[in-house]
Amino acid sequence: MGKVTVKLHGAFSEFAAGARSASVEATDIAGALAGLVERYPGLAERLRDEHGKMREHVNIFANEEEMRYLDGERTALRDGDIVHIVPAVSGGEA
Amino acid sequence: MARGVAVLLGTKKGVYIFRSGAARERWRLEKPSFPGQPIYHVAFDPRDGESLYAGVNMTWGGPRVEISRDLGKTWKPGKNPAFPKGDERTFSRTWHIEAGHAKQPDVMWLGTEPASLFKSTDRGESWEPVRALNEHDDAKKWAPGGGGLGLHSIAVDAGDPKALTIGISSGGVYETADGGKSWTRMNFGLSSPVPLEADGDLTCVHHVVASPTVPGARFQQAHIGTYFKDAGEKKWTNMTKGLPTDYGFASAIHPRDPQTAYVFPLEFPMRMSPPAAGAAVWRTRDRGKTWKKLANGLPRGSSYEVMRDGMATDRLDPAGVYFGTTNGEVWGSADEGRTWALIAQHLPPILSVETATL
Repeated sequence: MGKVTVKLHGAFSEFAAGARSASVEATDIAGALAGLVERYPGLAERLRDEHGKMREHVNIFANEEEMRYLDGERTALRDGDIVHIVPAVSGGEA
Repeated sequence: MARGVAVLLGTKKGVYIFRSGAARERWRLEKPSFPGQPIYHVAFDPRDGESLYAGVNMTWGGPRVEISRDLGKTWKPGKNPAFPKGDERTFSRTWHIEAGHAKQPDVMWLGTEPASLFKSTDRGESWEPVRALNEHDDAKKWAPGGGGLGLHSIAVDAGDPKALTIGISSGGVYETADGGKSWTRMNFGLSSPVPLEADGDLTCVHHVVASPTVPGARFQQAHIGTYFKDAGEKKWTNMTKGLPTDYGFASAIHPRDPQTAYVFPLEFPMRMSPPAAGAAVWRTRDRGKTWKKLANGLPRGSSYEVMRDGMATDRLDPAGVYFGTTNGEVWGSADEGRTWALIAQHLPPILSVETATL
C-alpha cells in the first residue's frame, strides 16, 4: 500500500474544512477516496449519491490522466502518486 | 411586539437576506451566502426564531440542505435525505423545506425531486423518507412538469400536528391525517390541462399553502385555476372568476384571515409573463368571490415572472406581502398589497421568497 496525495480543487475543499490536499494510504483510487472520506466525512455526500454512485461533474485524475480513461476507481496507485478531484468546468446555462 | 422582518430569497446564484424594522420602510442587505449556487428555497423556523434552512441544488457535489442557527450568519450542511436501498430513485434537488407544527418543535419537512417527502425529527440534521407517500400507488404515474418532477408544496395545518397537505407537479395534492402514515389524493374539484378520466384524477398543481392560524384552511394556484378548501371540505372550490387568467405559479395567504389570499396571474401558453392587464398581485378578501388588482407602485408594462415559491406574507399587522421576480427584483408591501415599493433590484433570478417575522 502506497502513500498517495489527494488534491481537492475548487469547491470540494470547502467540504473538507478548507483543506486542499490529504495524504492517504491506498492501492487504488477507490481506496484513496475512502481514506479521504474517512478523514473528511463531509465529502462523502458531495462525491457520491445515496446509492454510492459517483456524482456527475466530479472529475478524478490519477496524476495527469482522467480515471475514465484508465480503470475507473480500480485504477492502481503507487507510492507518490497524486489523485486530483476536480469540479467539472461545464455548463451552458447562466 | 415584533422587532422587524427578514425577507429570505432563494436565487439562482445564492441566498440573499434583507432585514427591516417593523415599519418595513428601509431594507438592509445581509452578506449573501452560497454565491453562484442555485437555491430553490430558504425556510425560516418560527418556533425557535433563529433557524434557517436552504435547499442548495449544486451540480458540483450534488444537492444538499444547509442549516443556519443564527439567521443566516453561519451555515453548515445537514445529512442528505436518501432513498432507501432497493429504491432506484436518487435525491437530485430540494424543492421546499417547511417547519413542522408548533407542538413538534424538532420536526421539519422536506420536498424533493424526484417527488418525495422526507421528515426530520432533529431539526434538519438528518432526514427519513416518508415511505407511505413516496411509495404511494400513484407514484409511478407522477410525471415531470416543465420544471421537473418535484414535491414543491408542504402545507402544515395550523391546528392538527398530524394533518399535512403536499403538492406534486405533476400529480396533485395529497393529504395525511395521521402524521404521514397514510395519504389520500385530494384533487377533487381541480381542473386539468389535459382531460381527466374522472374528478379527482392526477393533475398539475403549482403551489399550495395553509393558513398559519386557521385549522384546515388551504389555498392554491394550480396549473388551471385558483382554489380554496376549508376544514371538513372534501373537494376544492374553484374561485378563479374575476382573475385575468387562470394560470400562474405563486400563491400566498394572509397570516390571520384565510379568506384573504394573493396570486400573481400569468399568461399561458408560450409567455410565462403577465396578462394584458399588466403585472400585478391580485388579492381577494372574500375567499375568491371577488378579486382586486394591486399594482399601486409597480411599473407599468413590466414583464415580470414570479415562480411558485416567489411570494409570501409576513406575520405583522397590517400584513406585509412580498414577491420576487425572475429578473432579480424584490417588491414589498407593508399595507397588505395596497401599495408597493422596490426592496432591491439587480439580483440573480429569484426562485423563492419567504419571510421571518422577528
